[in-house]
Amino acid sequence: MTAPSFGQGGLDLARMRRDRRRMLVDAMAANSLDALVLLGQNNVGYATGARAPVADAARAGARRMVAIVTPDDTALFTSFPDGVPPELSDEQVLDSLPLESDIGARALVDALPEGKLGFDELTMPLRAALDGREALDAAVVLSAAKTVKTPDEIECIRRAQAINEEAMLAVEGMLAPGVYATALTGCFLRRVFELGATSNTVEPIFQVMPRRIADGPYSATGDLVFPTVTKHEPVGEGDVIWVDTGIDYHGYKSDFGRTWVVGGQVDERRRDQFRRWRGVVDRVLEVVKPGATAADLTRAAGEVDGRRPWLAHLYLAHGTGTDSAEMPLIGTDLGSDFDEGVVLVPGMVTVFEPVIWDDGHAGYRSEEIVAVTDDGYTMLSNHHYAPYE
Amino acid sequence: MQERDVDLLLLGREGNARYVSGARRLWLGGTRAFAPGCAVVRATGAVHLLSVTDDGIPSDIPPEQLYPISWNPMNLLAPVVGAPGVAGARRVGVDGITPLFEQLLTGMLPGADLVDGESLMRSVRRQKSAADVEAIRAAAAVADDAMAAVVDAMRPGVREIDLVGVFDERMAAHGVTTPAYDAIVSVVEEGAVGQWSTDRVIDDGDLVTISAGVLADGWEASVARTWPCGELRSEHRSSWAQWWSAWNALVDRARPGTPVGEIRDAGEVDLHGVGASYEVLADDDVLEPDTVVALELRHAGILGGETLLVTADGCEPLTRAPHVAVP
Repeated sequence: MTAPSFGQGGLDLARMRRDRRRMLVDAMAANSLDALVLLGQNNVGYATGARAPVADAARAGARRMVAIVTPDDTALFTSFPDGVPPELSDEQVLDSLPLESDIGARALVDALPEGKLGFDELTMPLRAALDGREALDAAVVLSAAKTVKTPDEIECIRRAQAINEEAMLAVEGMLAPGVYATALTGCFLRRVFELGATSNTVEPIFQVMPRRIADGPYSATGDLVFPTVTKHEPVGEGDVIWVDTGIDYHGYKSDFGRTWVVGGQVDERRRDQFRRWRGVVDRVLEVVKPGATAADLTRAAGEVDGRRPWLAHLYLAHGTGTDSAEMPLIGTDLGSDFDEGVVLVPGMVTVFEPVIWDDGHAGYRSEEIVAVTDDGYTMLSNHHYAPYE
Repeated sequence: MQERDVDLLLLGREGNARYVSGARRLWLGGTRAFAPGCAVVRATGAVHLLSVTDDGIPSDIPPEQLYPISWNPMNLLAPVVGAPGVAGARRVGVDGITPLFEQLLTGMLPGADLVDGESLMRSVRRQKSAADVEAIRAAAAVADDAMAAVVDAMRPGVREIDLVGVFDERMAAHGVTTPAYDAIVSVVEEGAVGQWSTDRVIDDGDLVTISAGVLADGWEASVARTWPCGELRSEHRSSWAQWWSAWNALVDRARPGTPVGEIRDAGEVDLHGVGASYEVLADDDVLEPDTVVALELRHAGILGGETLLVTADGCEPLTRAPHVAVP
């Protein structure tokens, strides 16, 4: 087992937690909120540094940690003492509350401070226990803080990505006609834990693509269907496979996307698809710098063969951090006015995922992650493009 | 819905959506804030689902009842609010909410009250049909075999975290790509309860607890065992005798009529319902026939647990992974 190489950046988790809290408190002040009440596990983790084991949503929700964040104090309700960061005092850490029950919900409401409260979500017993007290949406505050990453956060994403990419070398090694797509998932999951991932948080996708959209599963939009759940079926010689995976490292998500061809035979048309994809990425990266808008990026991507070169129901690019798809969202159905208002600043991390599709001949999709720097960007992804190059 | 007078049920929790639709959508770990991923309309009985495709969607949900993803929350709600039979809905059950969606929903359905859809779902999901039990039994078989793979792979020098990967890899060999939770593999140590697997290296003679579960076709089963790395040390033998005695007493109480709280009070016990995911049980809930629970007991340093079907007069283990043989 070799450890992936992590580049130059050091990682100071205590500093990262301090910086995040400061950014969150600043964002609260800017939005006139006196306290945040956080139930989402990614949000509690972001605000406090506390960790809970990763589980299916129902289990994670039933055992959820809750945080109350004010400018001067943090209260963390948790049943996972191993995951409490050292800077929290015994007074700040309390037993978890069952927020699916009226008793637990009332206990949390009793602990809430005065003033304007922002919530990321509510259980229905919690909503009832608030008894009409105003609950504002915390999404704007969370997004404002999370969108700009500190160097430590960027280093976490870089490491998550490095583990993800290293694990893919093992998966690529077993790709052959007759191998079950789900076996690729198994190999990937085994390897990411061996390599030091905190968890896997998105079901790995190894989707065999149809040649034509009409051959594929039914599409509600008429556009290409992706992603779908990995099938328990063998892959065949010449199958085009779109790969999409994301793992977790100290709360930060990787995002790996590639196109593979089973057997490795790439004809000239396929090679050309890759070149066109590369062209989109190159054009877009050329304009990535502070001050550029999301609309600048979608314009740079342009149209390829009469269509915008990404999946219409998704995006040209999305942010990644403690959520696998977060702000900035670029090229979504929120529209061009929205894109005009999204301005890149240093510390944003964006995942570009253009798509080239030749109906009748499948297509090419891969992903690249960059962090916006003071004068441009730095790559966080670093993986080969075999068998296309 | 009739009983609770709910006109529209909006479900954001994937387990609830899986239960009412049978759909197998892409799995994401951890909690998600409420978004309308699934809707049930009382007037028509129709289930509407957020999905751009019918891949993984049962055929009894026709394409016109699928609505595509949107980054605009208004666009996400519009097809649901506009679905046949929704206009004029007075009581809307939701299984969670965000302030934004509350504002949008009450704006788009003027006069509607939001009511607790989660407790409705909980009451409906508890009782399992024969087909549900078969699906959980199939999940249990996968969990058992993946547990066996972990036990096989346990040897000096292996780290706890490596065995999480071993569990997942074997699970995937059965075509199941979603664990119910990250397997918790933990070397037994005085005074410590492992809450997740670490990079600790397992030594010869260590006792190792393993708790793991799978979601197979959307149905959950979990199992817990304790195994020694290498030969069982003589000083550990009596621990098993103590555990078995406590476990047998516990399982004896797992029968219809027993309040959940009574079983939880019996020791270091974890007890919850399982079905189309983890199901919350309150202390004053009472075990009933045809319910399925996951029961774990940690006692004398040993952790063990099963997925249990509560029968008319007791319970039947659905998981059957072998235990260590204690001479």
